[in-house]
Amino acid sequence: MDYARFVALRRPLWESFERDATAARRSRDLTYSEVEELALRYRQVLQDHAWARAHFPGTGAAQRLLRLAVLGGTVLQREDEGRFSLVRFFFSRFPAAVRTSMPWIGVAAGLFLVTALLGWAVAVYEPGVAVALLGPATVEGLEHGHLWTESLTTTLPPALTSSAIATNNMSVALTAWAGGALCGLGSLWVAMFNGFMLGAVFGVTARFSMAAELGNFVIAHGMLEITLILVCAGAGLGIGVAILRAGDLPRSVTVPRAAREALVVLLGCLPWFLLLAIVESVLSPSAELPFLWKALLGLALEICFLTPIALGAIREPAAVEGAAS
Amino acid sequence: MTTDDLSPELGTVLSLDNVPVELPLARVGSRVLAAVLDYLLLFFILLVWSVVVIALARGLGLRAGWGFGVWLLGGFALEYGYFAVQEVVFDGRTAGKRVFGLRVVARDGAAAGTAALLVRNIVRIVDLFVGVLLMALDPLSRRLGDRLAGTLVVHQRPAAHDELVVARLPPHWGAAETQLVESYLRRARELEPAARFALGRRLESWIDERAPGFLPGAPGPDPLPRLWTGFRQERG
Repeated sequence: MDYARFVALRRPLWESFERDATAARRSRDLTYSEVEELALRYRQVLQDHAWARAHFPGTGAAQRLLRLAVLGGTVLQREDEGRFSLVRFFFSRFPAAVRTSMPWIGVAAGLFLVTALLGWAVAVYEPGVAVALLGPATVEGLEHGHLWTESLTTTLPPALTSSAIATNNMSVALTAWAGGALCGLGSLWVAMFNGFMLGAVFGVTARFSMAAELGNFVIAHGMLEITLILVCAGAGLGIGVAILRAGDLPRSVTVPRAAREALVVLLGCLPWFLLLAIVESVLSPSAELPFLWKALLGLALEICFLTPIALGAIREPAAVEGAAS
Repeated sequence: MTTDDLSPELGTVLSLDNVPVELPLARVGSRVLAAVLDYLLLFFILLVWSVVVIALARGLGLRAGWGFGVWLLGGFALEYGYFAVQEVVFDGRTAGKRVFGLRVVARDGAAAGTAALLVRNIVRIVDLFVGVLLMALDPLSRRLGDRLAGTLVVHQRPAAHDELVVARLPPHWGAAETQLVESYLRRARELEPAARFALGRRLESWIDERAPGFLPGAPGPDPLPRLWTGFRQERG
């Protein structure tokens, strides 16, 4: 068949396919028979594309058919995604993803602890660090027995501090997660930097005998906040490990798989940051709320976050045993 | 299409019935242009958001802290959500990508899923530093986010009205001859008159020599109308 005859014969099919495929992308509400019909025409377009590519490469028809082949692929084929359920996500999918990342969360937590101790030691034994970390005005306040956290209630309204705290913490979590893309180095940095800073800040306040006051401030929100950042850093590390460690499958398969698992962890953590921001801006600085209540609140938040994860860990082996028997 | 059938050198996927489809990959230039346009739009939206919050805070008599808190949360959502939400809602397209005819697809040529689109956009904060270099070096022009999400960015434009410009050809013409004529007829109107005339005259005499009688009539002062009529004339 010559080119002109091929174009004249097949052009109506190409035009109708392009029109219907474009409409299908917009509506996304096709019946089974409509999809079947479109898929049939897509196969015809693909055959035409193969013919044009072999006999008339680079011609107008070959270019149009290539475009139609790509269009058909994006309209008729979609990556497999199950139906989303919020309850299933938070009580099944998210806890399972956290458990998968547990070894890397452990690594992040270990490094966090080591660097926290290091930061504490440096701040206690090296007085210059206090000024470098917190600034001269804050250190002067500490000398007079005032924590910088007092300004959270005296100078700034809770709405502003909540927003600032939430966005800052979510930025840290997102950076810890995305840092996994740099072979895990970014995640490691976030875990270690935050550990060092926390240790150093406690060290500085200990030097001025204010560590108990700082503890009183952080106890309600601090436990879960650190846990969330370490969980996100651990998820990021999981991506980094998938990039570095070659397995049986190619990285083009394993890395996106690890990233999607880590995404579940991140998405499950983000709402907690919003809740924690309210706690940190309203309850944590409160002078009326006793330490014990704040500690119980912090513990309760931590338990709420960890319970679905722990319950899943208990249920999983039972389910495996049940399936085996 | 199957994931493992991708040839990393060519960006070719095996579609239904094992038909190879060479994805028209978007290269670093068009992608950077689209991103610049998107960031300009984002900047503009952030400005509008600021004005709206200020106006609302004044109108409702809110305390400064409340307005600033709302502004901060909205700004954060816009910063992280601008690209991701658009790509999820508009099937792999942001405003910038739409202008430059680009679309994010899965690496097998299918529509990218929500998870993949979210992953590639969260990693954007790292790609701001390394993305351009990675795209320039990668044969598939992937930035870090694309590698993590398993996505590619392809050109996807609507049909050009003059794509199928040829309706009639001399017998036994192959792809090279067809391309030559198509290319001239498509571009003739954009060429400088002198170049259009010179190229058209050479093409006209070349065709008259190889396929005598194919072009109607005799050569005139401007070769374009004769070429146009000859190749556009529908078969009787």
